[in-house]
Amino acid sequence: MADPANTPLGKMLLEEITPVVMVLSTQLVEQACLKNGISFVQMLSPFCDFTNIDVPVRTASDQPYRLRKFKLRFLYSSDVRQPNLEVAKERLKQVITHAGEKNFLESSEPSQFNDILSRPESEILPSWFQFFNKELVRTLSFSDHEAFDHPVACLLVVSSKDDGPINRFVDLFNTNKLPSLINDGAMDPKILKHYLLVHDNQDGPLDKATKLLAEMRNAFGQNDCQIICINSSQNGNIQHQDNPWALFKPDALPTENLGGFPNLDDLNEIKDFLQELSSKHIIPYMEQKIRVLNQQVSATRKGFRNQIKNLWWRKGKDETIDTPNGPVYTFNSIESQIRILGDYAFMLGDYEFALSNYRLISTDYKIDKAWKRYAGVQEMMGLTNFMLDQSRKDAEYCMENAFNTYLKLGSAGRRNATRCGLWWVEMLKTRDQFKEAATVYFRICGEDTLHSAVMLEQASFCYLLSKPPMLHKYGFHLVLSGDHYKKSDQIKHAIRTYRSAIPVYKGTTWSLIKDHVHFHIGQWYALLATYDVAVSHMLEVLASTCQSKSTQELFLRDFLQIVQKSGRTFEVVKLQLPVINISSLKVIFEDRRTNASSEAASVRESVWRSLEEDIIPSLSTSRSNWLDLQSKHIPRKYKESNICVAGEAIKVDIEFKNPLQIPISVSSVSLMCELSANPEEDANSSNIELPENESKTSTSTGDINSSLILSDVDFSLEGGETTLVQLTVTPRIEGILKIVGVKWKLSSSVVGLCNFESNPVNRRVVKGKRKAKHSPSNDLKFLVIKSTPRLEGFIHSLPKKTYAGDLRPLVLELSNQSKFPVKNLKMKISNRRFLYAGNQRELNVDFPACLKKVNVEKSGGHTNGNKMSQNVFHFPEDVSVQEETSLSWPLWFHAAVPGNIPLYITIYYETEGSSIMKYRTLRMHYNLQVLPSLDVSFELSARPSQSQEFLLRMDVVNKTSSECFQVHQLSSVGQHWDISLLQPVDSILPSQSLFAGQSLSCFFMLKDRRSSTSEDSTPPSLFQSDVRLGPRDSSEPPFDVSSSPLADFHDCERSCQGVSSQGYEYKVDFIFITQLPKGNIDSGARNTPLVLSHHACDCSLSSMSPISWVVDGPRTIQHNFSAPLCAVNLKMTITNSSGSVASVHINTFDSPSSNSQPKDDATASHPPENQTGWSDIPIASDTKIITNEALATRSSKSLSLESVPQFIWSGSSSTKLTLQPRSTSEIPLQICAFAPGIYDLSNYVLNWDLTPVNDEVNQGGGNKSSGSLQGHPYYLIVLEHT
Amino acid sequence: MTSTACFIIVSRNDIPIYEAEREDAAQLHQFILHAALDIVQDLAWTTSAMFLKAIDKFNDLMVSVYVTAGHTRFMLLHDSRNEDGIKSFFQEVHELYIKILLNPLYLPGSRITSSHFDTKVRALARKCL
Repeated sequence: MADPANTPLGKMLLEEITPVVMVLSTQLVEQACLKNGISFVQMLSPFCDFTNIDVPVRTASDQPYRLRKFKLRFLYSSDVRQPNLEVAKERLKQVITHAGEKNFLESSEPSQFNDILSRPESEILPSWFQFFNKELVRTLSFSDHEAFDHPVACLLVVSSKDDGPINRFVDLFNTNKLPSLINDGAMDPKILKHYLLVHDNQDGPLDKATKLLAEMRNAFGQNDCQIICINSSQNGNIQHQDNPWALFKPDALPTENLGGFPNLDDLNEIKDFLQELSSKHIIPYMEQKIRVLNQQVSATRKGFRNQIKNLWWRKGKDETIDTPNGPVYTFNSIESQIRILGDYAFMLGDYEFALSNYRLISTDYKIDKAWKRYAGVQEMMGLTNFMLDQSRKDAEYCMENAFNTYLKLGSAGRRNATRCGLWWVEMLKTRDQFKEAATVYFRICGEDTLHSAVMLEQASFCYLLSKPPMLHKYGFHLVLSGDHYKKSDQIKHAIRTYRSAIPVYKGTTWSLIKDHVHFHIGQWYALLATYDVAVSHMLEVLASTCQSKSTQELFLRDFLQIVQKSGRTFEVVKLQLPVINISSLKVIFEDRRTNASSEAASVRESVWRSLEEDIIPSLSTSRSNWLDLQSKHIPRKYKESNICVAGEAIKVDIEFKNPLQIPISVSSVSLMCELSANPEEDANSSNIELPENESKTSTSTGDINSSLILSDVDFSLEGGETTLVQLTVTPRIEGILKIVGVKWKLSSSVVGLCNFESNPVNRRVVKGKRKAKHSPSNDLKFLVIKSTPRLEGFIHSLPKKTYAGDLRPLVLELSNQSKFPVKNLKMKISNRRFLYAGNQRELNVDFPACLKKVNVEKSGGHTNGNKMSQNVFHFPEDVSVQEETSLSWPLWFHAAVPGNIPLYITIYYETEGSSIMKYRTLRMHYNLQVLPSLDVSFELSARPSQSQEFLLRMDVVNKTSSECFQVHQLSSVGQHWDISLLQPVDSILPSQSLFAGQSLSCFFMLKDRRSSTSEDSTPPSLFQSDVRLGPRDSSEPPFDVSSSPLADFHDCERSCQGVSSQGYEYKVDFIFITQLPKGNIDSGARNTPLVLSHHACDCSLSSMSPISWVVDGPRTIQHNFSAPLCAVNLKMTITNSSGSVASVHINTFDSPSSNSQPKDDATASHPPENQTGWSDIPIASDTKIITNEALATRSSKSLSLESVPQFIWSGSSSTKLTLQPRSTSEIPLQICAFAPGIYDLSNYVLNWDLTPVNDEVNQGGGNKSSGSLQGHPYYLIVLEHT
Repeated sequence: MTSTACFIIVSRNDIPIYEAEREDAAQLHQFILHAALDIVQDLAWTTSAMFLKAIDKFNDLMVSVYVTAGHTRFMLLHDSRNEDGIKSFFQEVHELYIKILLNPLYLPGSRITSSHFDTKVRALARKCL
């Protein structure tokens, strides 16, 4: 370690603990000095610090040593007393305030720690700390428990102008004027006196003064009198290089010429005088005194005998007077003398001697319980130990002991403790024990908040300087110090400390801390009326989510207050309130694709693209028109940017979130946009007509207002609420539009800005992605083109929710708001089962009457069939939407299946106005909720003997929970079927309505009309393809299922259910129509009756084969069996109802053995004990129809015991024939009976094989390509003819 | 009985991942605990014990710290001595914390949001402190 004397503490001690010379001067002396603007003491001060004197000193020991540095303190006798506490405090406060002002102005933005730590220590520590500490220590001088402040000598100064100088000298040392220390008896009044005569050369020659000096020497002694001359210079304009007084009068104005009158000789004279005073008088006097005192002390206290004596009689001492503060010692008590001895030795630099004396006295004081004195001595011991640089531990121990002892004294010792602490801290700092130093600083903090603040700040710096730096502690103590500063109204200091703490807490997640710091800085800056900085700090805490509700309220309120006080509107780029969810940003714009509603905009682009595939011009064709034009007119740079149309709004959806628990109000939310002229349009003289002002860039705000329309949204957010806001911008002229960001006003005082570009978050741009690689800035950049017509579309009264089967007409309204007509309209609907375009004349039809059958036969049968086959509906050529008119077009709606059904409708139209955009599309999107209503199922069963008749069972279940459906009609589609009820409907369903949950089963007879009509040619008017299930008496005609829209929807159903339109000879389609008299399902709450139609396609008998036959012939014959044989001719009519060529092979067999021939699986239920002739043929899968004949067979079973067949098939036993599709042929059959009886002629097998005509035929799925069938029972009664 | 002011779990990156406050003078408590991190930093490497006892104090508030092997610090701010109780409290909380760590969905160093953990810690505080 360096020499203790060179450390800061050492220097401080050498400066502060020095002999005091009391100055007593007359008025005239002061007046002479004041000519120079300084007092007499100030005049001497620069010269009382002797850095290079070389005085031999011999104290108690015999060995002299040389003193190199020495300093004297000159003080007026009036100053030799304890300073007034209040005055001292005031002075300290001024020091701090001054420093605050100065540092506040200098303070820069808090920098990073690396910067701070790399700087040398002296730069980190503010210099005013040193000064403050010195001042603080000085307030404690001249305490009665210490001796080093006691004047060693007294300098009596008299001017040569004074009358009777000798008397003046005597008067000066008058007890009235002497300090209280001397008068109280704490100090020896017999001190060294020195007499000085001051001569002002301006007042006259020196002669008179020298005469006076001689008189003085006579009176006071030869050596103790001296004379100095001042103000030798006449004009008073002498400029001293490095003015020696400047340091000692810091508050002097720079213009003031300090010390203008003394010339160089005068200065030298003063210097010489002081040197002589110190080396020839004061030092020898002190040496002398030390030796004298040492002798006394040695006599009374040193040595074994004295020690014993001291211990023994110590208690019984009566010299001391007990006071509450411990005993009072007078100057001539042995304790005081030891203390003086120690102090003098310290001042003369004989530390070992001083230490031994301090040790001696400290035990005495301890025994006497003179705690203050004890602490003072301990303090000095610590310092002496430090100066000796021997035992660090001892030094620290002593300091701590002293500090604690002072503290024990309570408020009386508080300030002494502060001084002691400061010295201790310096000691620790010298030894790099910064951490310990910081704790000592912390302990110094007392009730005086201002001093505590300074101490805490110094403590924080100690933490910063400790190795490694303790940044957390640094920050904490800075904040504590700031709080103390604030409490003592030193706002600038408070702000400074808090600001220094910011880097510590930068980026911390200890949110309460961060909020605290920023909030207070903000508040304090507001107190200083530095509003912009205040606002910037308050912004940091605004969006703090972890604070309690009341704190959040406080933050917001204070923030708004500050903003209000500032009287300005702040535009804040990073306003955290409310939070904007950038990832929710959604831009909806319309180029050639327009949306009828916002729902349509949210549908994925691919859905629309596939829908529009075949209505918009393909790329190859369009290249010749608008794309080419675009590439010509639009600069390459903007080729990829999105296109929008002037006058049409671009919508931006963005989410705002309130992170706080308190409600906030947000107003004037709008987009920030830039609209600039297209840079290359001017150069490229094209056929696009430019507005007049296009040539100049319209980025200035004034222009924007005229050329852009921005929407303005106000809303308020509850705590934690999130809201989606739609903002729009409408460009009015052509150019390049760029959406820059969003701005809003918080509580109508602060404007927040949010720049979309600067946020590197991916945005979702719904549309306009022509290329996968897309710079995000392009997503928000739009090429505004000239306004073109835009159709608005709306479907009136489309229900949101309905029952399955609902059938109704709708009206599509297309309106054109622009100045140009549009033409060539095309429409495509995604789900044709639900919606299709009708005929224009159906627009105002009366529903449901229009569905009813009119007398005109085959009126509109499949009128729309042509349209149905293709997906795109072309509006007639002559239809166009003129400017500012609207077009209505009928649509038919049928809720085919239950479920959530999306409907996409896209309408294509061509415009004439614009050359860039030849066509546009309008997209409409609706979501339907279709609830299940009726569950209708059909079952067909064949009548075995009647090949063209079927039994139909219909099961209907009402699946709704509340609705009551009125059963109306069942129709079969096509002209081929007759349908009739087996029993009157009244018997099944008297009320004709199905209530909720009710089920109904009905049986119908179904007859194929084709076979009969071919022969009978019944007039078509008699056809019964419809069965009315409704009330009999009503005369209204049934619904016409063969005309639009029912037939059209039925075709859709067929195609959707995957049924080919061919080969449905034995497949029947049914339409079941019910009515809902009071539909309360529609959200419109209109009690309109609903018509519901349910379509069932391809109902067929599951086991029905494409081949059917009927055996025809006599049923009863009479034969005379005397004749050789009885031959009976039969006729078999075989019908091929399939669409393919069938080869049919009929095998008859007579013997039981032939029974074993292979049988078709379908007839496997044939009993194995099959008797020839009388066999029981169960009808497969149809147990309901048990004919009487079958019963008869069973009863006659017993007859067939004989194994000999009673009849044989005659003629060809195997016949093969080929049947063309849908043809009938007859083959003759013959049997021979040998005996009378009843014969079952069913022992034949019909094998058939279908040869498909083309591939489509077999796709029907249910069709079998081959099979074999057992013969139908045919009973022939042969009677004996008599 | 120890009257506890604040319990906080600080991740190795000095981020508080769990806080349990008893009353409201919250920011001072945060300041004290935050400042104590320096001392923990010094002391943690001088001992092999996890429980560092009361390492720092501010006026009459003391900071007791427990450092896990992963250098997660449990810091308890309290105003009277009950070393045994605090030690057992820390040990039990450590077990709870390990259970949290075992959760594969918990990312070490992220905030502990489990309400179960919170309830358990508060119950422990009532029991041990």
